[in-house]
Amino acid sequence: MFAVTGNRKTSGTRSWRALLLVGVLALLSACGASSLVVEGSYPTPAVRKIPLSLGLYLSEDLRNFLYIEYTETGAEEYRVSSGQTHVQMFSTLLPAMFEQVQVLESMDAAPGAGVDAVFAPSIEEFQLALPQKTRLDSYEVWVKYNMRLLGPDGAYIADWVLTSYGKTSMEGLLSVEGGINEATVSALRDLASNFALSFGAVPEVRDWLASRQNVVSNQ
Amino acid sequence: MTTSKFVRQGFPLWLLAVLLTACTTTTVDEFRQGETGIESHEAIVILGRRQGSTYETREEFVNCVGERVSRGSGAIRVIPEKEFVDSLFPWFEPRTAPLRTSDLQALMEEQVVADKIEEYGVRYIVWVDGQTETTNRTGSISCAVGPGGGGCFGFGSWEDDANFDARVWDVSSFANVGTISTDATGQSYVPAVVVPIPLIARVEANACSSLATQLQQFVNGD
Repeated sequence: MFAVTGNRKTSGTRSWRALLLVGVLALLSACGASSLVVEGSYPTPAVRKIPLSLGLYLSEDLRNFLYIEYTETGAEEYRVSSGQTHVQMFSTLLPAMFEQVQVLESMDAAPGAGVDAVFAPSIEEFQLALPQKTRLDSYEVWVKYNMRLLGPDGAYIADWVLTSYGKTSMEGLLSVEGGINEATVSALRDLASNFALSFGAVPEVRDWLASRQNVVSNQ
Repeated sequence: MTTSKFVRQGFPLWLLAVLLTACTTTTVDEFRQGETGIESHEAIVILGRRQGSTYETREEFVNCVGERVSRGSGAIRVIPEKEFVDSLFPWFEPRTAPLRTSDLQALMEEQVVADKIEEYGVRYIVWVDGQTETTNRTGSISCAVGPGGGGCFGFGSWEDDANFDARVWDVSSFANVGTISTDATGQSYVPAVVVPIPLIARVEANACSSLATQLQQFVNGD
């Protein structure tokens, strides 16, 4: 009789412990940041190709770019990885703009690659606006880029800033992650369109393109 | 289905659907600035204006107009918006799209753009611009659940106003040949006595239908 009571107590304690563990795990999972890898597709630009060979160097920082959105108390709320979608966007955009594009693993590979210039973009700032914080009915993403065009020997050709903006309405979205994803893809699409149309208008780039054309026509 | 079967089975459902739809008033205006007409091998593309900072023309509305213009006796071939914008990327993005017919003329000097538009057989570009606003929200509904069941009590209402313009550009002459405007308003109600019964005014659907019908006639030159 006594032993039976003791067993019952042990069994009851185990159940409570298991329940407590489940509760703590549930609370911890609710507190953890939500991770998101941005995925999207980008159309190929319908533009005239520049008859030059371009080296594309995407740094580790850009390829693994991670933005962390914090709560008002400073806890991590969303971890947004957009490095791979940036790689995808540049890999779609640049081959449509230039006669030839070579992806370079490092800047050291540029001199032997036989390219006319190396393009090395970087992300300077990434901002995210969530409807629950802004009280607006849309997700917004704003990104500031530093675009660098260098000679194969690393010499400066041009260095300019581009900003991009993407927005998506809350309507029809099932999750916050979906909203962040769509707004980020929209911002990258904005960057691609702006870059494709403004590249040749950057003064240093325009001068360099003119000088390259002179070299080609004199050969 | 015989008439008696229809009355017994279909008619009550039809009547319920009619009763559950609140009234909508729709006004359509047409302003013609040039001759129109379209050949069977030609097409139109309907694009939403998304340059504004306060609102963007909803893709669903643009698709609705396109779908309605492409059916019926005066059906016109409509190039889907997304397909056209992706194919002509980056020329018709919110930041880069032509705002005036003179911008379109300049854009057509780009051979890649001219070739794509010719490939699609686009004769008219229709720019749809507008939004649906909800105003005058009044009333409240309270719901409660108890051991014996649950229910709601109260009354809510709001007004929807859908205001859209469609500007028609003739690609062959780079001219704005006309504008069609539609304004649909309607009051929606939700009375709740145990069960809430929504009486929704189909404002945007009516605006889409009216705009599409008028646009189809306009482009066909009727």
